[in-house]
Amino acid sequence: MLELVDVSKVYKGGKRAVDGISMRLGAGLLGLLGPNGAGKSSLMRVAATVTRPTRGKVLFEGTDVVSRPDALRAALGYLPQDFGVYPHLTAREFLSYLAAVKGLSARSARVRVGELLELVNLTEAGRRPLGAYSGGMLRRVGIAQALLGDPRVLIVDEPTAGLDPEERVRFRTMLSDLAADRVVLLSTHIVSDIESVASDIAIVARGRLLRRGSPEELLREVDGQVWETVAGPSDAVAMRERYVISRMIRTAGGTRLRFLSPTPPGGDAVRVAPDLEDVYLAVINGPAARAVTR
Amino acid sequence: MTARAPIALAVADFRERVRRPAYAVTLLAAVGLACLAVPDAGSHWVLMDVGGYRGVYTSAWIGTVTALAGALWLTMGGFYVVRDAIARDERTRVGHILAASPLRTSTYLIGKFLSNFLVLASMAGVLAVAAPLMQFARGESGTFDPIALLLPFALITLPPLVLTAAAAVLFETVPLLRGGVGNVVWFVVSMVLLMGGQTRNAPLGGIGVRQAAESMRTALVEQGIDVTDREFSLGLTSVTEPLRTFQWDGFIPDAAFLGGRLVLLAVGIAVALLPALWFGRFDPARGPGSGSAAVPSRPGKAREGDQDEILGDLPRGVRGEPGMGGPVGRPGLPVTMTAPVRGRAFWRLLAGELRVLLRGVSPWWWLVVAAVTVAGFATPEPATLLPLAWIWPVLIWSRLGTQRVEHGLEGLLGAYPTMRRGLLAEWAAGVALTVVTGIAPAVRMAATADWAGAGAWAGGALLVPALALALGVACRTHRVFQVVYLGLWYLAVNGVAALDYMGVVRSGGLPAGPSPLAVGGLALLLVCAALAVRTARHAVR
Repeated sequence: MLELVDVSKVYKGGKRAVDGISMRLGAGLLGLLGPNGAGKSSLMRVAATVTRPTRGKVLFEGTDVVSRPDALRAALGYLPQDFGVYPHLTAREFLSYLAAVKGLSARSARVRVGELLELVNLTEAGRRPLGAYSGGMLRRVGIAQALLGDPRVLIVDEPTAGLDPEERVRFRTMLSDLAADRVVLLSTHIVSDIESVASDIAIVARGRLLRRGSPEELLREVDGQVWETVAGPSDAVAMRERYVISRMIRTAGGTRLRFLSPTPPGGDAVRVAPDLEDVYLAVINGPAARAVTR
Repeated sequence: MTARAPIALAVADFRERVRRPAYAVTLLAAVGLACLAVPDAGSHWVLMDVGGYRGVYTSAWIGTVTALAGALWLTMGGFYVVRDAIARDERTRVGHILAASPLRTSTYLIGKFLSNFLVLASMAGVLAVAAPLMQFARGESGTFDPIALLLPFALITLPPLVLTAAAAVLFETVPLLRGGVGNVVWFVVSMVLLMGGQTRNAPLGGIGVRQAAESMRTALVEQGIDVTDREFSLGLTSVTEPLRTFQWDGFIPDAAFLGGRLVLLAVGIAVALLPALWFGRFDPARGPGSGSAAVPSRPGKAREGDQDEILGDLPRGVRGEPGMGGPVGRPGLPVTMTAPVRGRAFWRLLAGELRVLLRGVSPWWWLVVAAVTVAGFATPEPATLLPLAWIWPVLIWSRLGTQRVEHGLEGLLGAYPTMRRGLLAEWAAGVALTVVTGIAPAVRMAATADWAGAGAWAGGALLVPALALALGVACRTHRVFQVVYLGLWYLAVNGVAALDYMGVVRSGGLPAGPSPLAVGGLALLLVCAALAVRTARHAVR
């Protein structure tokens, strides 16, 4: 449905934010993982037609939306990482205004706005000016506007920033439900945001796509390479220099370390089942990432 | 207070400003001003007219005229260039970091004042560099005298710029003057200061016109030219005949004039330091930020505690459980969702744009509109109150075309379908506001069958919001329209018929300004220009 073909984005001054990324997206949720500055937001903006790529194509159902962005915009819901609102309008008025921009009929807009406010738990607060909203509440307004047109493509950039834990869980579940019959592209640097909902994961760093696959496929890559041990203070320091540490907890008996090693590290380290955070660290610190860095 | 901190602050702030593309535009404007100050010998537009004469283009004449032009225009216009130093610190939140540092408030204010002055001085510097180039370009005098050329910049241009730099700091720390009101107030204040500064008895030597003019008068007399009834004029004016020339070798400033310059400097520093008495160091609970900062435009700007305040009112029952399915519609979603239906949306867009434009406007503002409207119905001559009716909404009009930038909606709306209808709705909202505020003269003119006046009124009603929209979309700031419109309005009110967009300048009872069709056509052109710029931005991305 949505396809990125060899997309690159180079900003003024020569900063290459996206470097030759290609990916095809169908119905389902693709989680885009990467460290800060990896180029995720640039890639999302390109996919959402907000930024024109320096090179490459973005195709939506066969139409090149770089030259004809409205083909995608009519079917798109986009939540940028950072966005503003008109502070003197209420949430209901703001969403109604955006519904008019999207071309929804008056009746449909009224119904849809009411449903979306309920969906994001803002029905009561919906009649108050947005200027008095907290960051989390504004984020929920952003989520509601992204869903206004019942989009076939939903692109959400760091959507859970500012949400409380309950709202995060709720939003992740909602995305998972929405992904049943549409393209959902979710960008985050928080692994837990996608590990429970993404059927497809892409890991990017320095503008390059390093890995893509289902959670099971990615987990298989580091199977047998994740270890845990308890170390004394001096050993812990040495291990931090030698291995990629994915978790470190101080206990009464020493420091419990979870780390990555392709070969058995020796000592009393025990092999444990990997999770997506281990995969992420292995990819980000692995040979592919180092090749990009060079 | 050591000198290092304010200087470091000023230099950092100056660097931040001069690395923006807009700074290059201001420098280009300074070059344009230099060209304007030294027109071609056959030009009918002049900046300084000594009773039908001008000096031969020597270093002294060019230096003095360019310096006076700089004093005049940079004092007024430079304010709008530099007046964002403190607001930017608030916007970028750098101010919050500075507020938590040991930096003293007075040091901060002096740093901002110095930065403002550096920006203005750099513009004056461009004038000073352009002046000798103009001398050589005009070629009337081959003798280059650097002191005669540059001294006027030090004595005439820079001192009032000290006051401008200080006033910009002062205005930014007074809540009422921080926004558009301050822009209007400065327009009036600077006009008064600059006009008063040209009078014979101006305190502290004024802007230096009197000293230069007396010296020129003496030179004219010495060259046998009758100076009786000859008037000195400074400012862009049109002359029927190109000016004749006389030789003028500059003026020697007396001690009183030099002393006055030093006093101006001291006054400027005092004005810049005055806000230390009340400046709240970006504390949202007090000081200049307490009004507008309470209304965050971006998620991160929300106040602590807002969430509790509003969520506290939410009934717990509203909070759905994750994954709770609705009875019908999309399965799995927490609530029932109906599919959206597309339809006609222009009138709702217009209603939305009217809300965006007018929501948050004080009831007092509307009260003044009502009072002017009532007065418009009561006054014997309907057109007399139109200038008042159409200056009052200047701050509201200036929102047109800039709101999405100001409130950070560009990222969000960038992924929406191209907003051609949205822009037309925005203009229509501006036209509606213009019609409402000027309704009384229109009704009166229609009632008295003054169709020519009504036509001029209609042209103005289309033009003003179109101008605001075009400048707002192109420049992405309120200030440009505020300054341009105030200038246009001032000229129209002062009888410049060619620029009378309202139909208030009358000749033989009929509007003497341009044809309403031409004004309306210009309005349409401006809307098209705004549309083109916004569409291009939307497309280029």
